[in-house]
Parts: sequence; structure tokens; C-alpha cells
Amino acid sequence: MAVKIEEKNNLTVCYIDGEIDINTSPDIKKAFEKLIAKKVPKIVINLAKVTYVDSSGLATLVEILKNMRTYGGRMRLTNMAHKIKSLFEITKLEKLFEIIEDEAEAITTFI
Amino acid sequence: MNRRSDTGKLSLKIPSDIRYVKEVSSGILKWLKPRNLDDSAIFDIRLCVEEVVRNAIVHGNNNDKGLKVLIIYWLEGDHLIVEVEDEGGGFDSGKVSDPTIDENRMKLGGRGVYLVRHLMDEVKFNDKGNKVRLVKYLK
Repeated sequence: MAVKIEEKNNLTVCYIDGEIDINTSPDIKKAFEKLIAKKVPKIVINLAKVTYVDSSGLATLVEILKNMRTYGGRMRLTNMAHKIKSLFEITKLEKLFEIIEDEAEAITTFI
Repeated sequence: MNRRSDTGKLSLKIPSDIRYVKEVSSGILKWLKPRNLDDSAIFDIRLCVEEVVRNAIVHGNNNDKGLKVLIIYWLEGDHLIVEVEDEGGGFDSGKVSDPTIDENRMKLGGRGVYLVRHLMDEVKFNDKGNKVRLVKYLK
């Protein structure tokens, strides 16, 4: 698992590559802790290269969102594989997260 | 670690250490390889097996490395059956809270069993709550 962070159009875009599960969650949390400490207002997380997410992985994403909300930050998830999106639908996390089909759209409409 | 009984059932006994979780799911999926399952079924089986084995280790056996988790799996026609049993005191499966309701949506835990119930075709706990039986219909 790897997290790559880029700046695009004054937004922070994070690319997660690999699995988001109980084994990788501590590293993912660590990568986002730095952004949260800086109170980054808007983060787009591109999940195109995420192949697997378990309940711990979902919890990690909820935790990052929760931490961002403490200072009014917002997060968008993009480019999710169909199977992973279905986990968000089953657990109704689709109502909690802003899920956008495509990264470019998520960036240009992130007001 | 793997044993085959006379009934064709395979069994695996692991210590209560989450490092073994992936080994269990990988072993079952490797055994299922000749079935040429689609990616969605493979994902469901991996996720559900890992969730219930991890629950057995963490919640059932309370991470006590002296306690074991027994996994038995077999095929009945097109049905994959996986039973996971821990040596803990059990839990009330009827009292698992619904993670999808508004007040629980921001909670960090509580989605594992819920996902398993959705992704498997049958999920049954024993009365004590220390053994779960998963059934996946392999189409």
C-alpha cells in the first residue's frame, strides 16, 4: 500500500494504491494525520488503484473524515471500483461521504 | 496446519493472532481456484472469511494466544460452507447494532458482521455465539 499526495488546482489530491484493511490502516492514518494537523480544508482521495477494503478500512476512512470535520474540512472520494462502491452502499456510508465518479469532476466542482 | 477429514471437509486450527487471518482466506481461495470464481465472489469470500476469523480472534478469544480458532470448510454441490469457532464465551448475535442508522453511521466499528450478512447467502451463529456458519452459493 502507498499513499501519494499531490497539489492540484489548490486542492490536495491523495492517491491510495493497494489495499485498505486492518494491515494497512495504521499507515494510511499516519499519512493523513499530517494533512489533518495542517488543517487542509479540502481533500480528494482517488481510490482507482484500491483493490480491497474491509470493515477496518471503512472505519479508517470514517475516522479521517471525522477528524477533518472537527475543523470544518471536507473530503471527496473518487474513482472507486464498483465492488468497493458497493460496500459503501451496503453500509450506507454513501450518505456520509461525498462520492464522485471521477477525479477531474471532483476537483472542478469542489467549491 | 490443514487437515482433510473422511467427509472431505478441510480444517485449520490457528492461534489467536491476527497475522494468521490472511493465511486462512488465502488458503480457502487457493483451494477454490479450480472453480474459476469471478472477482466479485472472490472478494466476498475473502472479506467475509477475514472478518469472521478476525472477530473470533479479537472479540471471541480476546487476543489470548493460548486460545485457538477452528476453521472448517467444504463444498456441498455449489455451496461453499465455512464454519469458524472460537474458544471464548460467545456473544449475542441478535444484539449487533445496525451501523446504517444515522446515530451509528459515524461510529468506527460495527460494520464487519453487517457486511458478512449482506455478502454471504446464509449466516448462522450458534446459540452461544462462538461459532458462525457462512454459506456462499457459487453460481
